Amino acid sequence: MKILIKIVKVVLTILLFLFSIAIIYISVLAPKEKRFKMAEHTQGFYLSQTMFDILIFQHPEYSDVYFEKSVAFNKRGEYAKGFELLNKAVELDSKSHLGYRGWMKLRKLRDFDNALSDFNRLDSLTPNFVDSPWGEDIDFLRGECYFGKKEYQKAIVLFNRSIKNQKEGWADIHSFVYLGICEYELRNYEKSIHEFKRALKQSKNIPESYFGMAKSYQKLGQIEKAKEHILKAEKNINYKRDDSYNEFLNEIYLSEILELKQTLNNK
Amino acid sequence: MKNKLNILLLSSFFLALILTIWVYYQTTSRVGDISFDKNIDNSEFNACNEDRITQYYSIGTNYQGGEKAIKKELKGLINNLNFNDSGFITYRFVVNCKNKTGRFRVKTVNSNLKENTFNSDNIKRIQESIESLKGWKAGKRKDEILDSYYVLNFKVQNNKIVDIF
Repeated sequence: MKILIKIVKVVLTILLFLFSIAIIYISVLAPKEKRFKMAEHTQGFYLSQTMFDILIFQHPEYSDVYFEKSVAFNKRGEYAKGFELLNKAVELDSKSHLGYRGWMKLRKLRDFDNALSDFNRLDSLTPNFVDSPWGEDIDFLRGECYFGKKEYQKAIVLFNRSIKNQKEGWADIHSFVYLGICEYELRNYEKSIHEFKRALKQSKNIPESYFGMAKSYQKLGQIEKAKEHILKAEKNINYKRDDSYNEFLNEIYLSEILELKQTLNNK
Repeated sequence: MKNKLNILLLSSFFLALILTIWVYYQTTSRVGDISFDKNIDNSEFNACNEDRITQYYSIGTNYQGGEKAIKKELKGLINNLNFNDSGFITYRFVVNCKNKTGRFRVKTVNSNLKENTFNSDNIKRIQESIESLKGWKAGKRKDEILDSYYVLNFKVQNNKIVDIF
C-alpha cells in the first residue's frame, strides 16, 4: 500500500511538473514564429498581449510583434498605445509596416495628411513598384486621402492613375464612384454621371452610383431621371459599400436615399 | 526521502496552481474591458450579460443612419465647442442589448497621436451629447441580441470638431 501511494505521488509530481513545463514552454521557450501565431490568434486577450511582451523582450528587433500588438489597442480606440507600437514597427522595418500605418491613419482616424505622408514615403522606398497597403491600391488610397481633404482635382488624378495601373476591369469599383462624387462636388454634373456609369459597367448593383446619378440628374433639372435612379439606389441598398469597423468616406444610408426620394416626389 | 517527495509534490502542485490561475486570468481578460465604477458610472445602466460584452464590429452594433446621422444630430455641439489643441477625442462605451448606452471612458491624443488633455468642460459636453443619442441598434449573433463596446471618434482641427466617426 505504501509503495502504491509512493507511486501515485511520483506520477502526480511528474504530471504536475510536465503541465507547468508545457505552459512555460508555450509562453517563453517555443520557436518565436509559433508563439507569434498563437498570440495573433488570441488577439485582444491579455494572454496574447503578454506573449507579445515576452517576444519583444526576447527579440526586440522583431518588427511584426510591435505591429501585431498594436492591433488590439487601435481597434479599441487606444491610439496613443497603438501608434507608439506601430511607430516602432515602422522604425524597424519601414517597407513592411508603413503601408499599414498609413491605411490605419486613413481608415481609422481620417488623418489624411499623415496617411498621405506614410503612403508617399512607402512609394519612394519602392521605386517602379505599385504598392498595395493592406491589400488596396496605393493610388486608390491616396485618392481617398485627397477626397477626405476635399481636394477633388488631386483626388481625380489619383483615382484615374489607380484605374490605369489596375486596368479598367480590375480596378476598385469605388474608384469610379469616387470620381463621380468628385465631379459632382466640382459641379460637373454630366461628367459625374459619366463616371458613375463607368462603375455600373462593372456591376449593376452599385447603389452609390445610382444615388450619385439621382443627385446629378436633380441638379441638371432632369427630375424623372433622378426619380428613376433613386428607386434603383433604394432597390440595391443591400449591396452598399460598408465595413464592420468603420464608416467609409463615401458610405450611403437608406435614410438619405428615402429623404431624397421624398424631395423628388414633392417636385 | 519521504519528506523530499512530499515537498516535490507540494511544490509541483503550487507551481501548477499559480500557472493555472495566471492562464485563467490571461484568457478571460481583454484589452479595453470596462468594469462598473460606482464613482463615475450610472448605476441604472446594466449590461444584459456582464460576462459576455463583445466588440461592436464582431456583431454589427451600429447607429441608425450611421455616423453620418450622429454628425447631423450633434451639429449644435460641433458648431459650439472651441478647442485650443488639435487631435482626437475617442469615447468607448457599452451599448447594451436594450440599445441603451453607459460606462463611458475617454482617451485623447494630439495630432501626433500622443496622449494629451483637452478642456474638461468640452469633454463633459461631448459625453452628454453621446448620452443623448437614441438611435443605437445592438448587434446580434445567431438571433441573440448582445451587449458590445462601441468606439466613437471626434476629430478636432483648427479649434473645432470637424468630423465624427
